[in-house]
Amino acid sequence: MDPDPSPSQPVDGDADQIPCSTVVTEEDGVRDLRLDDPADRKGTEELESNGSMQNELRHEGDMEIVEEIPQRAQDLVEETVLASSEEVLGDSSRGALVWRESSDRDGEEPPSPSSSGYAGERGSSVGSSENDDIGDVENGFSGQGNPIDGIAWGTGRKHIGEDEASVSWRKRKKHFFVLSHSGKPIYSRYGDEHKLAGFSATLQAIISFVENSGDCVQLVRAGNHQVVFLVKGPIYLVCISCTEETNEALRGQLELIYGQMLVILTKSVNRCFERNPKFDMTPLLGGTDDVFSSLIHAFSWNPATFLHAYTCLPLAYSTRQAAGAILQDVADSGVLFAILMCKHKVISLVGAQKASLRPDDVLLLSNFVLSSESFRTSESFSPICLPRYNPMAFLYAYIHFFDVDTYLMLLTTSSEAFYHLKDCRVRIERVLVTSNVLSEVQRSLLDGGLHVEDLPVDSSSHSGSSSSRLSQDGLTSAAPGRVREGYTGIGGPSGLWHFIYRSIYLDQYVSSEFSPPLNSASRQKWLYRAYQRLYASMHDKGSGPHKKQFRRDENYVMLCWITQDFELYAAFDPLADKALAIKTCDRVCHWIRDMENEVFLLGASPFSW
Amino acid sequence: MGLSSGTIVNEGVQFCVFDLKRGQHEGEEVDKILYFFPFDCPYSVQLSVIGLSEGLITFTRIFSPEAPCEVIEAERHTHVFYQAEPDIWMVMIVEKNKDTEHVWRCDGLRVVLKEVHSLFVMFYGPLQSLLDKQPSGDLARSHLYSFVTDYLTDFHVGKKFQLPSFRESLGERGTIQMLTIEREVAIEVQSLVTVLESCAGRSAMFSSLVLFQNLLVSSTLSPDDTVNVFAYAVMRLTPQALSLGTNSWSYLRRGPSPNVTNLSPLSTTSASLEDHQHRSNDSSSGNQDPNYNVPRALQREKWSKGKDGFLVTDIWLKESGSSIAANPSVWLKQAEQRMFLLIYQHRSMTVVLLVPVNSLSNGEKDLPMLKQQVIENAAQKIVRVEERLSKGWPGENANHVKGYRYLLLDTDHNISRASPPGKVATLTKDSLLALNKLRKEIDLEKNRAERSDSKREKDVEVCVRARNNAWIIARMSRGKELYMVLDKANETILFASDAVEKFSNRYCDGAFSLD
Repeated sequence: MDPDPSPSQPVDGDADQIPCSTVVTEEDGVRDLRLDDPADRKGTEELESNGSMQNELRHEGDMEIVEEIPQRAQDLVEETVLASSEEVLGDSSRGALVWRESSDRDGEEPPSPSSSGYAGERGSSVGSSENDDIGDVENGFSGQGNPIDGIAWGTGRKHIGEDEASVSWRKRKKHFFVLSHSGKPIYSRYGDEHKLAGFSATLQAIISFVENSGDCVQLVRAGNHQVVFLVKGPIYLVCISCTEETNEALRGQLELIYGQMLVILTKSVNRCFERNPKFDMTPLLGGTDDVFSSLIHAFSWNPATFLHAYTCLPLAYSTRQAAGAILQDVADSGVLFAILMCKHKVISLVGAQKASLRPDDVLLLSNFVLSSESFRTSESFSPICLPRYNPMAFLYAYIHFFDVDTYLMLLTTSSEAFYHLKDCRVRIERVLVTSNVLSEVQRSLLDGGLHVEDLPVDSSSHSGSSSSRLSQDGLTSAAPGRVREGYTGIGGPSGLWHFIYRSIYLDQYVSSEFSPPLNSASRQKWLYRAYQRLYASMHDKGSGPHKKQFRRDENYVMLCWITQDFELYAAFDPLADKALAIKTCDRVCHWIRDMENEVFLLGASPFSW
Repeated sequence: MGLSSGTIVNEGVQFCVFDLKRGQHEGEEVDKILYFFPFDCPYSVQLSVIGLSEGLITFTRIFSPEAPCEVIEAERHTHVFYQAEPDIWMVMIVEKNKDTEHVWRCDGLRVVLKEVHSLFVMFYGPLQSLLDKQPSGDLARSHLYSFVTDYLTDFHVGKKFQLPSFRESLGERGTIQMLTIEREVAIEVQSLVTVLESCAGRSAMFSSLVLFQNLLVSSTLSPDDTVNVFAYAVMRLTPQALSLGTNSWSYLRRGPSPNVTNLSPLSTTSASLEDHQHRSNDSSSGNQDPNYNVPRALQREKWSKGKDGFLVTDIWLKESGSSIAANPSVWLKQAEQRMFLLIYQHRSMTVVLLVPVNSLSNGEKDLPMLKQQVIENAAQKIVRVEERLSKGWPGENANHVKGYRYLLLDTDHNISRASPPGKVATLTKDSLLALNKLRKEIDLEKNRAERSDSKREKDVEVCVRARNNAWIIARMSRGKELYMVLDKANETILFASDAVEKFSNRYCDGAFSLD
């Protein structure tokens, strides 16, 4: 990592006052971006103007369609490789460019060091042990009130002093490593990568040893431990875990970590390895520890990480419609994707014609935004890549937080769209305020999601139950995480404790809030992992998904039901009666279908199917 | 050369035994290898396999010192590990091929490694003791080469080398299959066992195993020893084994007639064995006598029935170079002593008698006298019991339960009962694959529970409605496991659990019943 900003970096006067920041002033940003080949930009503009940009994106998926964009990944990287990084964008060690609109603050005032696109510079983070998972202690996952977003969660590098020789390091329940094919460490969840160079070389040796025999190592089992390998071109990802997660789940997590790297760098980083196999990638990810810690934390609470679906904030149909309409409006004006979210839940999203957004990209994007402190402080314009959409190219994201939880992301292919997007945001904000969307969002947050106790017992009460749930005032005044006042039950009818319903066509899921007896973090995580196992058990790559499953052990009764339209996962009291549990699942499905308008975003990408 | 050539298609199976303590110095790595199949595999490949295995054992010990590497899953191969003795590891590498039958369950393959080692120890003692006895390792190698190779011939089905695949999901190697008998017959059997015990006279006592067909009727050995002796009896001693001149794991083998190709070990295998021994001696530094006269306990067609009803073999020779047959003996774990093996057979009944070697004052010379005692005192009873058993014997499909395809395991006693192979063969491939997958999941849970400190018994019930509408069921409760496939069944989960309940009440003493 190169701590010195390059002498000729375009950040003027202020640069030496903000040594820890990657922030570039508006003017600088514009200037930097203009370093690119104007011809390419012109091409982009033309494409945009004739409205065929999206087609281009789709049809030439493998091409780098926005040539000027990989400044972060490509230019920086190339410069690093060629040891001539002076020309570009300041401190390459951050590997990040955040172009910030400085109107919110005085232009003279240097932005705070923490307002970097990636909060938490390496080494500067708190040595928090929040996700210290030695032994059985792993941070609980959130359903109610636990920190789920970057602010509350992001704690930067953990246990930097540890290395493979430390007993504490060896006893961690779940390690993640990223390394290059030459064995250079890129990322480690615990310990300092540089101290783990030897260990990293061992991992590389294992992978290449098997590779030399014409094979590819995927999994090693040893007692309660699993070592899962994922090879992505020149980048190797490894998870070493003694959690009870399945191999499939861990592999999916490695895929997401790789995806998160692509969000920051795009796949064009591979070129650096083509040029120099011993290329050191760590500087490019400098300061992004929080992004990865937050993602890894999500692996133990966020069902989106294994369901490959996103979830919506429950809202009255008209409220979501109002939000969708204005987003659609801006999408028609050259915005590729417009996404309005509250924490990790979608309020509404729209894509331009023929552009569809994959749930994994929503997850990675929201994780990136929520875990980067700086996005919260003012509006930002940052290159990002949507790996499932096009792993080779950067898009530009305009990001603005309306309040601490609610934020807007406008994605475009144009590097010069900042002012346009800013205007769009102003329009959107105006509509959101006048149509009370933002206040409804706050209210929904307070109300929380679905509660199993509210499951209508009698089938005749289906109709209307949903709207009443969402319209009645003060159904619960408890903040998420607080046990609802006066409630002393033990779950819903027939011993129903929790459920997740995934709509296959919508790529969305809805899950109930945690209610007693699932009120401890450890029980919640246990259930979460039981869902993970159930999911893996139901989805077999070879023979396709099973139709139903009933599973009872000393902790739970789990039921899963997969049809062409939906997947239902439900957890019951272990003593629950089988027949009643089945009936209850049926009722949950009816209930959800009755509330479909409120809990799902319908017609999210009208042009993609 | 060896088994990999000629008529047998090896299909990418590798099997090795190595000693982590040996060959520590550079250039001496070959010394680690105690056994490698196929024989014609170049040393460079052998060393690479063992190098990877050793590397991963060391690597995984960083995180899991108590239970190092058990399985490597690569895209094209599965490597299954078994730590046979503290420094001695066995690894089996099988090729994956999704288009064919090559879908395995790792624990199913590990049982094979475990079985071959247990049987080896039963005949020759621990490998480590052979290595201690003769540090160059040639003694251990000669034993392994003949024994393991003979063992592997049992996996030749037709022209193929066929390891237990998903087709055997309703079977469990390394367990005993019992004959279900009525109470009155049981009393007669018990009385026979008492008579047998006393046949050896005052100074010694016979332990015994009584088999009918390929099923166990009674055993006075410990469960572990029973498993080993039973396995050997079914492989080489029962009337079926003698008549086929081959293994007949009747219930484990798929299809009505396994029809194993008669591989004459003498004509093909032993030639390659000698060839290998020759090679290995060339490469080893010690100039030991290459002719260790290893008794090839698993050699086929070497047992036959003598006139007196006792089985005879010339596998065991009295002395090196001698042609006088010695009486076979085995080492029993529980008794911690070597026992002479006497096998008496009458029609479908096989009585395996074990008498402690050091209880006989004249050693082997006393055996004819003991045999005489058995014939005089027990032959009549054996005839009678055999008759009773034959009468009550419902035939091959004895364990068939209409509408069910099942495997019932008593893990505490290593006993299994299952649908007959002919019936299992009627299941669709998809059902068996789904069951194989479910068994893998249960294996993981079971292994985890076994390793955990908590003594809490795992109690699990899983019913899966597969895509082909079959119900795949697993139950685990108080040391018993039940796996079931209901191919043509009603849609509701309640139907499936009802079916299990009925089965449990009727055939498992209610072990899996909910109330």
